[in-house]
Amino acid sequence: MTKHTDSILLKSLIQLVLLMVNILSVYVLFRGHQLPGGGFIAGLMTGISFILLGLAKGWEALGKNLPVDPMRLATTGVALALGSGLLPLLVGGEFLTQYNWHWEHFPMLGELHLGTPLLFDTGVFLLVSGMTVKLVTVLVRSSSGLAPFTAEEERYYASILEEPIEDKARRREESDGL
Amino acid sequence: MNNLVIAPFALPLATALLCLFAGRVAVWRRWVVGTSAFVQLLVAVVLVFQVVGQTPLVVVMGGWTAPLGVALVVDGLAGLMLCLSALVAFVCILFSYLELQVEDEQPMRLPLMQLLGAGINLTFITGDLFNLFVAFEIMLVASYALLTLEANDRHIKEAFPYLTVNMFASSIFLMTAGLAYAVFGTLNLAQISERAAAMEGEFSVLLVMLLLMVVFGIKAGVFPLYYWLPNSYPILPYSLAALYCGMLTKVGVYVLLRMLCTVFPHSLERVHIVLALLAGATMVMAALGAISRNFIRGILSFQHVSQIGYMILAIGLFTPMAITACVFYVIHHIIVKSSLFLMGGIAYFRSGTDYLERMGGLWKISPLLGCLFLLQAFSLSGIPPLSGFWGKYIVISESLDKGYFWLASAALLASLLTMVSMMKIWLKAYWSKAHEEQGPTVSPNAIRGMTLIAAVMVFFSLCIGLNAEFFLNIAQTAANGLMDQSIYRESVLQTLGKGGNP
Repeated sequence: MTKHTDSILLKSLIQLVLLMVNILSVYVLFRGHQLPGGGFIAGLMTGISFILLGLAKGWEALGKNLPVDPMRLATTGVALALGSGLLPLLVGGEFLTQYNWHWEHFPMLGELHLGTPLLFDTGVFLLVSGMTVKLVTVLVRSSSGLAPFTAEEERYYASILEEPIEDKARRREESDGL
Repeated sequence: MNNLVIAPFALPLATALLCLFAGRVAVWRRWVVGTSAFVQLLVAVVLVFQVVGQTPLVVVMGGWTAPLGVALVVDGLAGLMLCLSALVAFVCILFSYLELQVEDEQPMRLPLMQLLGAGINLTFITGDLFNLFVAFEIMLVASYALLTLEANDRHIKEAFPYLTVNMFASSIFLMTAGLAYAVFGTLNLAQISERAAAMEGEFSVLLVMLLLMVVFGIKAGVFPLYYWLPNSYPILPYSLAALYCGMLTKVGVYVLLRMLCTVFPHSLERVHIVLALLAGATMVMAALGAISRNFIRGILSFQHVSQIGYMILAIGLFTPMAITACVFYVIHHIIVKSSLFLMGGIAYFRSGTDYLERMGGLWKISPLLGCLFLLQAFSLSGIPPLSGFWGKYIVISESLDKGYFWLASAALLASLLTMVSMMKIWLKAYWSKAHEEQGPTVSPNAIRGMTLIAAVMVFFSLCIGLNAEFFLNIAQTAANGLMDQSIYRESVLQTLGKGGNP
C-alpha cells in the first residue's frame, strides 16, 4: 500500500482547494490569448490540483476517482491542437491560421471575443494536465513499491514480453542452480 | 503557398495520435501505420519533383509575417532528405512487422516511430532556428523513449550516456539560439543569413557558428564526443537500429550543411578547418573501434560513426564539388547502412545470436544473403563501381587538391579498416563452420520476407552506384541550391515580407 498523509486539515480542505484551483485555472485558460496566462500554465495548475488530491486521499483512490484516463486526455489534447492547425487548410488558409470573432453585445455575456486559438490552447491545457497527472502517478507508484501501471493499463503501455525484474532474476537463479 | 509542405510533419503526427487512441496492439493498427508510411513516401516523392532544380517551396505558419512567423522551407536538399527518411521509415516499419508477432509487439513502438518521423521531417523543413530546436526535441524525446522501450535491465544503462550527452547538446543549442537572437535580432534562417552577410568577419558570427558546430557535431557523432553512439545503438532491435543509423545522425549532418552553406557566410575558414580535422580523427578512431567489437550490431554502429567522418570531411573541405560529394554520400550512406543493419538482423534471426563467436555457416544456409551482404560491405568500404566509391573518390581527390595529404591518407586508412571489420563479420558469420546448437528464431516465411526487403534496398544502392552520374547530378543541383544563398534567402523573404531591423 502507498503511504499517504493522515493530516485532517489537508483531507478536509482538499475538496475546497481542488474546486478553487480549477476555477482559477479555467479563468487563466480563457484570458490567456490576450493577457498573461494560457493553456500551459492552466494545465499545470489543474494537474497539480489532482496531484494534491492524490497526496491527500492516496494514489489508489485517485486512480479510481479520475473520470478519464489522463493519457487519453493528453492524446485528445494533441489531436485538438493539431486539428485546430489543420482546419484552416479546408477553407484555403495556411497551417495554424487563426480566425477571431468579436461581439460588442453578446446576449447574456456582454462583450465577447472568441477565436480558434482558444481551441489550440484547450488542446495544450488537456495535454499538460493529463501528462502531469500521468507522470507523477507513475513515478509515485513505482517508487512506493506498486507496479507502475495497473493491470488495466498494462495492456496499453507494456508488451507481454516484459515481465517484472524480480521474476527474471529468480528464474536466472533457478537455472544457475540446476 | 503550397500546403503539401505541412504533410511530412502532420501525417506522422496524426498517425501516432490514432495509434495512441487505439492503444492495444492489433493487426489493423499495423495496416494503418504501413499505409500512412507509404503515403508519406508518395508525398515526399511529389515534393522532390517540385523542388529539385527549382525554387524552394515556402509556407509561413499561420500567415504571420517577419519576426513573428515561422517559415517552413523545402528546397532541393530538404526534399531529398524527406524522401530518404520516408523510404527508410517505410522499409523499417515493414521489417519490424516481420521481426515480431503482432501480440508480442510493444504497444508504444509504432506511435513512437511515427513521432520520431514527425520530428525528423520537421528538422528538414523548418526555416527557423528556434523551431529547429523544437523539432530536435520532438525527435530526441521520441528516440529516448524508443531506445529504452524494449531494453532489458542490463542494456538500459547504455541509454544513460545517450540521454546525458544529447541533453547537454540540447541545452547548448538553446543557449546558442538565444545568443543568435541577441546577435542578429531574428531567428529566421533567411534573415540570419542576410544579416550575417552584412556582419561578415565579426567575432560574434564566428562564435554563434562555432557553438552550432559543437551542438550538431555532438548530434552527428563527431570525434571527441561520439562515445554515446556506438554503445547505445546496439541495444536497439534491428529494425529500429536501421532507422536510427539511417536518419538520426544524418539530421546532424544535414543541419551542419544547411548552417555552413546557406545561412552563414562562406568565409568562416577556421570552422571549416576544425571540422575537417575532427572528421579525420573520427574516421580513423571509429574504424579502429569497429574492429575491436565482436558482435554485428557493435561493429556496424562503430562503422557508422566512421562513415559520418567522410561526410563531415566533405563539409570541412567546403569546395562546391566536396559539398556535392557530401550530399551524394548522404544518399548512398542512408540506403547502404540501413540495409546492412537489416541484413545483420536477418543473420541474427537465422542463427539466434549476433555474437560472432557463436555464429557461422550462413553462406551454406543462404548464399543469397551472403551475396547481398558482400555487395553492401564492398559498397561501404568503397570498392568501384559500387555506390560508396564515388563519394569517397571525390572527397579524397578534393582533399588532395587542397593539400590536406594527412586527411586524404586518413580517409584511405579508414576505408581499409572498414573493409577489415566487414571481413571480420564475413569470416565469422558466413564463412566459418556452423554451430550445432543455434537455429532460427522466427518462421521461414518471415525470413524470406526480410531477405526480400534487404534485396530491394541492395537494388536501390546498386542503382545509385551503377547510375552514379544521374545521382551526382541531383546531388549537384541540391548542392548548388545550398551554396547559392540568394536563392534560399529571396524565396523566403519574398513570402515573409521584410522584417524590422534589430
